[in-house]
Amino acid sequence: MGIFTLALGDLRERKARSALTMLGVAVGIAAIVALMSIGFGLKYSVTSQLTEMADTIMVMPGRFTQGRGYVMLGGFNERDLHDVKRISGVREAAAMFSAVKDVEHRRERKLFEVVGIDPKETHAVFGKIVKEEEGRGLRESDHKTCVVGHSIAKDLFVHEIGVNDRIKIAGRTFRVVGILEKQGGFRSEVDTQIYITKRDAKEIIGDEISMIFVRVRNIEDAERIADEIEERIDENHKIEDFTQALTMGSFIRQLEELFKILQAVLLAIASISLIVASIGIMNTMLMSVMERTHEIGVMKAIGARNRDILTIFVLESGIISVIGGILGMLIGVIGANVISVGLGSAFGIEIPAILHAEVLLGGLAVAVITGVLSGVYPAMKAARMSPVEAVRYE
Amino acid sequence: MSAEEIVRLEGVTKVYHMGKVEVQALRGVNLSVKRGEFIAILGPSGSGKSTLLNMMGCLDKPTSGKVFIEGTDTSRLNDNELAALRREKIGFVFQQFNLIHTLNALENVALPMLFAGIRRTERMKRASELLQKVGLSHRVYHKPMELSGGEQQRVAIARALANNPEIIVADEPTGNVDTDAGNVIMGIFERLNSEERRTIILVTHDFDIAARAHRKLRMTDGALL
Ligand SMILES: Nc1ncnc2c1ncn2[C@@H]1O[C@H](COP(=O)(O)OP(=O)(O)OP(=O)(O)O)[C@@H](O)[C@H]1O
Ligand SMILES: [Mg+2]
Repeated sequence: MGIFTLALGDLRERKARSALTMLGVAVGIAAIVALMSIGFGLKYSVTSQLTEMADTIMVMPGRFTQGRGYVMLGGFNERDLHDVKRISGVREAAAMFSAVKDVEHRRERKLFEVVGIDPKETHAVFGKIVKEEEGRGLRESDHKTCVVGHSIAKDLFVHEIGVNDRIKIAGRTFRVVGILEKQGGFRSEVDTQIYITKRDAKEIIGDEISMIFVRVRNIEDAERIADEIEERIDENHKIEDFTQALTMGSFIRQLEELFKILQAVLLAIASISLIVASIGIMNTMLMSVMERTHEIGVMKAIGARNRDILTIFVLESGIISVIGGILGMLIGVIGANVISVGLGSAFGIEIPAILHAEVLLGGLAVAVITGVLSGVYPAMKAARMSPVEAVRYE
Repeated sequence: MSAEEIVRLEGVTKVYHMGKVEVQALRGVNLSVKRGEFIAILGPSGSGKSTLLNMMGCLDKPTSGKVFIEGTDTSRLNDNELAALRREKIGFVFQQFNLIHTLNALENVALPMLFAGIRRTERMKRASELLQKVGLSHRVYHKPMELSGGEQQRVAIARALANNPEIIVADEPTGNVDTDAGNVIMGIFERLNSEERRTIILVTHDFDIAARAHRKLRMTDGALL
């Protein structure tokens, strides 16, 4: 028997109340652990896809304006593409021609983004990040053929589109040679695009290049090259700020900033439940102190110091919060995985639950600190009682 | 102050405030208790016996006047020093036993030693010796609920003896037990007084019990006669 037994005695005596208070703490900690883990997972799933392309630069005509987002200003031409390819440090550059066109499959017509690419260039820039699920990719020699995004082929028309089917794009018949794998996540737009060759694109989309993808030799040069690209193309068109060259690196950094804010918001939301839990502990401890007033008086009468009484009650709330905290960690880990699987099956995006040791230990530490702090006021109340008054209390 | 004097009260008054009404529980009590004395305090209900005992047990502070324990002016002590005094010098026995009901007999007796910082093995050894002394070696692991009133009071006496105090203060220790159990309890107090020379101050309503003390004090309306 020690001080610990005295603190435990009350918890054991009022099992239901102690358990509910612990559950309150557990929910608070679980919320923190689960939300933080999902936050880290979200960040990972987005940035990992992007870091595969860390050495790319996206070149677009137009600019970001305050309030209206991105405004497109016309397009690039073949000379721009040629100039970009000649900038030192540029490994490859690929042009894309895109426009929204109507697509007809078995008498059903819908609007989709049609993207014209040069198969050789595109392969050089993107390698084989986007693979075909059925059929094959576009070839240089192809004529009136297309590769269809996964969602368009499988979900968006009443009849599925298969390899060798014929579909009409802007009134002209194309043969489907391949269907792309499902992308999801940050590349989900690919799932609703149709790819055709540059040559065919000139016919239906026009001559204007809507975007150029550049792959650099050294990531360290990316910013310099981006500046040079902007300068060169602006000069070609004699318009200032006509070109936006966005390095994936800076994009990733911006995203990471965004994720920091997201994590902070998640933490703030989760903290609300922790505040509720802390009020719960304080309530339980105040009740415990009140119910044990007589006992406190007796202990003081037989020589307990204020400090002894304080220790008993702080220990009691400490035990509640440690057990609650450990429970919360477990629930949090399970919860994070459940959310991860749930998001996966509901939205088709894979967000892993990433458990950082710091989050788990931090959660436990927060639980203990909250528990002890919420216990201090009731414990001080108990410690300061006058022995006679407390003994008389029944 | 003679060397033999162990407790001394000088002009002790206690006023309770019940809203606007003032209750004069003690009206200037003077008392000197010698080492090894066995004192019984008698008096009608509400005369202030418990209030007086609480002063001597350092559970309460007088409104005016002074309480000396072994020559120490208790009004000069802080909370910690008062706790030490209650722990080391005074053993308090209540009418209602007041055992901690979540702890068994042994743990209850060991509790004052826990507060005194005595090692666990030492605590348990001494606690079981004390339970043997009050004739309860067969009830060591019983919880208070599982003991009779007389047995509970004997556990409480063993607890009061935990840190070997010289003064035992008991407020109607036989008030909640039958005559036989009361006799056993009084036998223990008598032995503690005659064999171990401990100072005993007890409050009682029972004249037979009071007759066993060396000195009888009568209280009426907050004053000693
Ligand atoms: N905490 C208190 N607040 C207000 N009045 C009190 C308090 N404690 C005692 N009193 C009053 O002081 C007076 C003396 O009370 P005390 O308990 O000392 O009497 P007692 O002689 O022990 O009585 P009994 O024989 O019934 O135990 C009583 O009138 C009582 O009502
Ligand atoms: Mg009384």
